[in-house]
Amino acid sequence: MSAVLDARAIGMTFRNGDEMTEVLRDVDLVLEPGELAALLGASGSGKSTLLSIVGLLLRPTTGSLEIAGSRVDTLSDAERALFRNQRLGFIFQFHHLLPDFTATENVAFPAAAPAGGMSAAMRSRARELLARVGLADRMDFPATRLSGGQKQRVAIARALMNKPQLILADEPTGSLDRVAAEQVLDLMREVNHEDKATFLICTHDEKVAARCTRRVMLKDGRVEQALQEN
Amino acid sequence: MFALTVAHRYLFSNPAQTALLVSGVALGVTAFVFITALIQGLAINLTEQLTANSAHISLEPATRVARVLPGAATETASVAIVSTFQRPQIRTWGSTVALLRTQSGVLAISPQISGSAFIVKGETVAPVAVTAIEPADLDAISAISANIVSGDANLGSDGILVGARLAENLGLSAGEPVLLRTDRGIDRLLTIRGVFRTRVQALDERVAYLSIQTARPLFRLPEGVTNIEIKLVEPAEARDVASFLQQATGLRATAWQDKNASLEEALTAQARTGRLIQAFSLISVLIGIASALSLSANRRRSEIGIMRAFGVSSAFIAAVFILQGLLIGVAGASLGCLSGFALCSWLATLIRPDGTMALPIAPGEGGYVAVFALTTLGAVLASVIPARSAARLDPLEAIQQ
Repeated sequence: MSAVLDARAIGMTFRNGDEMTEVLRDVDLVLEPGELAALLGASGSGKSTLLSIVGLLLRPTTGSLEIAGSRVDTLSDAERALFRNQRLGFIFQFHHLLPDFTATENVAFPAAAPAGGMSAAMRSRARELLARVGLADRMDFPATRLSGGQKQRVAIARALMNKPQLILADEPTGSLDRVAAEQVLDLMREVNHEDKATFLICTHDEKVAARCTRRVMLKDGRVEQALQEN
Repeated sequence: MFALTVAHRYLFSNPAQTALLVSGVALGVTAFVFITALIQGLAINLTEQLTANSAHISLEPATRVARVLPGAATETASVAIVSTFQRPQIRTWGSTVALLRTQSGVLAISPQISGSAFIVKGETVAPVAVTAIEPADLDAISAISANIVSGDANLGSDGILVGARLAENLGLSAGEPVLLRTDRGIDRLLTIRGVFRTRVQALDERVAYLSIQTARPLFRLPEGVTNIEIKLVEPAEARDVASFLQQATGLRATAWQDKNASLEEALTAQARTGRLIQAFSLISVLIGIASALSLSANRRRSEIGIMRAFGVSSAFIAAVFILQGLLIGVAGASLGCLSGFALCSWLATLIRPDGTMALPIAPGEGGYVAVFALTTLGAVLASVIPARSAARLDPLEAIQQ
């Protein structure tokens, strides 16, 4: 089976006036299907930048990127948006739910917006996902009436809506209390285990990394260690 | 359409703010409707006042010009000269009237003999403009019968009707004999059958009515008439109809607008001023919509960012904001048209002590279709700037904020 993510010699340099800042240098990263990988590193190590490049939100200065067998670093903006919608799932530190919509509508949104409307099948899948993340009794709640942990679980369900091949999580437990953080981590592990979904979780929390099947350590823009099996 | 659902949710997420925005648009539209109805009302009022007692089209003989007559190839040229003694007249007026009666937009026709004369009362002499008509057509152009203040409107074979101011100036009253001296130097003793008061100074002070039969010998016109006056169903069409009649009859046709060029200029200037005010009303509405949607786009940066992150197209984001503009425009324009109509209708009921309208406003002429279309279109255009800015938002930047 081919790799879900195959990033080769990724480099990223930011220009700020005359000043050039090299954030990533020759980063190679391959994720096989079903991996639950933690992307670790100190602040400023470049892990968020790498996650954004893999998530097609940022174009690398150098290197090549393949996701699920497709070369994606050469795609146009519109093609990247479509690829993100169909193949990638995102979970952010802050849930970024749409406050004017219910939990079900938030989950179904990534499928409903490109389709021009929310079909019964989309609604049904959204409700299944909400039930799976333990929010069967909150499906029709407006997003504003959910707790922080519940919102993050809705965000996980939303990330799964379009059955992505790669789910990218940026400090997914960073804004949660300990109990909620544990629940969210358990949920991601469960999805990884049951769906064989591939995760790349950006974190600076060793406890989170310890529950992943693999650790990728970034230091000064380079991959320092990319091997560990839990 | 899912973008419409999102736009609707965004608008209703803060009902008070949306209500304020729609009210602002409605207020601008109301101002537009009020100004339009007032300007149109003023124009209609002025036109009605001007045309109520005068013809919409006058048909007169074509102007005669001196010309060289064709003749034998000799060195002597023949020249036709224009007689200043012979009164220009329409000899074929019967067939012209028959033609006019077949025209659908013609309301009334009055063949006339018009001329100048003096009314002599003892040692007092006053100039008058004589209008000689068929007695049956007395009210065709001006409502004379209804405005008789003494005597009656029955002209008979030796009767004359005079205006109230003329009667006051000369000390005339109904039933009295009066001497009429025409510009042809013919005198005739006539009887004042009635005195009228139309409240139009030019008529009440200067005009005397005779029957055509009485006027023929006085103006030496045994057959023809000097002019044919016409009233139309739609006074505004006078120029077009006059142009047609001039072609069809060979007579000189003059529309009322061409006789009152200064009024038309005044109305045009008034309309121009009105358009300026209307434009400012619309511009203020559009600026309001653009700024409100820009604020909304800014407030929702993170939501837009996350939508973009999970692959929602920039066209969808733009559509959400353009549809918000459309909804605001439609709601504000509808509300503004209704409130504008209500305001104008109420103002139209305000009456002065003399029975005239306090404001000559025409509630039905508020330009509703135009303002609805302009506001809706303008609202969509005003939302394009915030829509573009939202659609171009860098998802990463928005999420990191």
